[in-house]
Amino acid sequence: MKVKLWGTRGSIPAPGPETIRYGGNTSCVGVTLADGSMLALDAGTGIRCLGLALPDEPTRLHILLTHLHLDHIQGLVFFAPAFRPQTEIVIWGPASPEASLRDRIARYISAPLSPVEVRELPCDVSFRHCPESEWEIGSARIRSASVSHRGPTLGYRIDDGDSSLAYIPDHEPALGADLEALEEDWISGFELARDASLLLHDGQYTDAEYPDHVGWGHSATSHALSFARRTGAERTVLFHHDPLHSDEQLDALGAEARERWGELGGDAGAIELAAERNEYELPARAAKATATA
Amino acid sequence: MSFVTQKPLELILARNLMSALSTPAFLVDEGGLLVFYNEAAGMLLGKRFEELGTVGPQEWGSLFGPFDESGEPIPYDDLPLVRAVRAGRPAHAELTVRSTDGSRHDVEVSAFPIQTPHGSQGAIAVFWPSLAGGNGMGPG
Repeated sequence: MKVKLWGTRGSIPAPGPETIRYGGNTSCVGVTLADGSMLALDAGTGIRCLGLALPDEPTRLHILLTHLHLDHIQGLVFFAPAFRPQTEIVIWGPASPEASLRDRIARYISAPLSPVEVRELPCDVSFRHCPESEWEIGSARIRSASVSHRGPTLGYRIDDGDSSLAYIPDHEPALGADLEALEEDWISGFELARDASLLLHDGQYTDAEYPDHVGWGHSATSHALSFARRTGAERTVLFHHDPLHSDEQLDALGAEARERWGELGGDAGAIELAAERNEYELPARAAKATATA
Repeated sequence: MSFVTQKPLELILARNLMSALSTPAFLVDEGGLLVFYNEAAGMLLGKRFEELGTVGPQEWGSLFGPFDESGEPIPYDDLPLVRAVRAGRPAHAELTVRSTDGSRHDVEVSAFPIQTPHGSQGAIAVFWPSLAGGNGMGPG
């Protein structure tokens, strides 16, 4: 399984010279499975660049949306493969009692917010609510679960061979809870991340910033580290950077995270911050993911 | 890959909320099993949840009652919390609970089911001091 980060920012795109190293695009992760099947995790503005990197040939791909906040769907109408008739796209996302996934996404892909309507997309697009049970895409088994965030929100686990990717970009598991003291089965998202080869997890706020953002649906650094430690993820990448955080601030946050991870008894190299275009290869039988920038 | 049997998110969030309340509150899962009560409830019962853990109907009854107005034990299936989760409807009752020191507390119980897009996931019950007084619950 190959994983590439196309958008690592949360909330709103944050382009500019001060964010050039970690990137300014919002959430999108490309995943290529062992059998060649392609997934996109979320469709923030990063999916535009993912689309440009795909070959102009008949393509079938799956887009797994964690939720429908704008920073996770904004790139859909700028995703080049969606405008090719030979493309088949399956969009997965959380169910809601209010309306279907298609109808909720159409609120964005429609006038006046969008120049095109869903029905006008040239590609073959379909929408599916994520099932409660595990399902298969290509060579992978996919599992989703509701996680603690504002509104219906999912996290995903992708198992391909013996490697596993957990993707929980918007997550506040410590809301009203002590992650160090809670039993495993009472921790939001636990089963998704348990012993994952690679965990991409919300790390939007510093511990100093978090008290002003309690209940906003995101994690402080210490919460993300506790979650990673409790779940036993082999490698953790802090994701969904706050748009106000510059590269310099993120460097400092990353250094602090590694130091604290070391104090917790972990390998400091197993914690890092998400940077746009970073790639990870999760071999079928390997203890740790290998990263390349 | 083996998964832990994780609680539904709605129960997790309910527990987190209940943990922050000063009102005694109880949580059961979709099968009617008591899976959590908060510190205020623990003070009422004389035993913290962390000491007791998840309990089934028989143990719950033998520990705490509850009892109806005539002093008879109320069957577990008739408790508001269990009625709420099984019928998917709110339930209310006046009853008496017995704490571990033997003292009895008259309370009013309001229970409501936790309905989700995936069906009923459990129920919450909140205890209120009985207006008749003599419950020993304090301001709640």
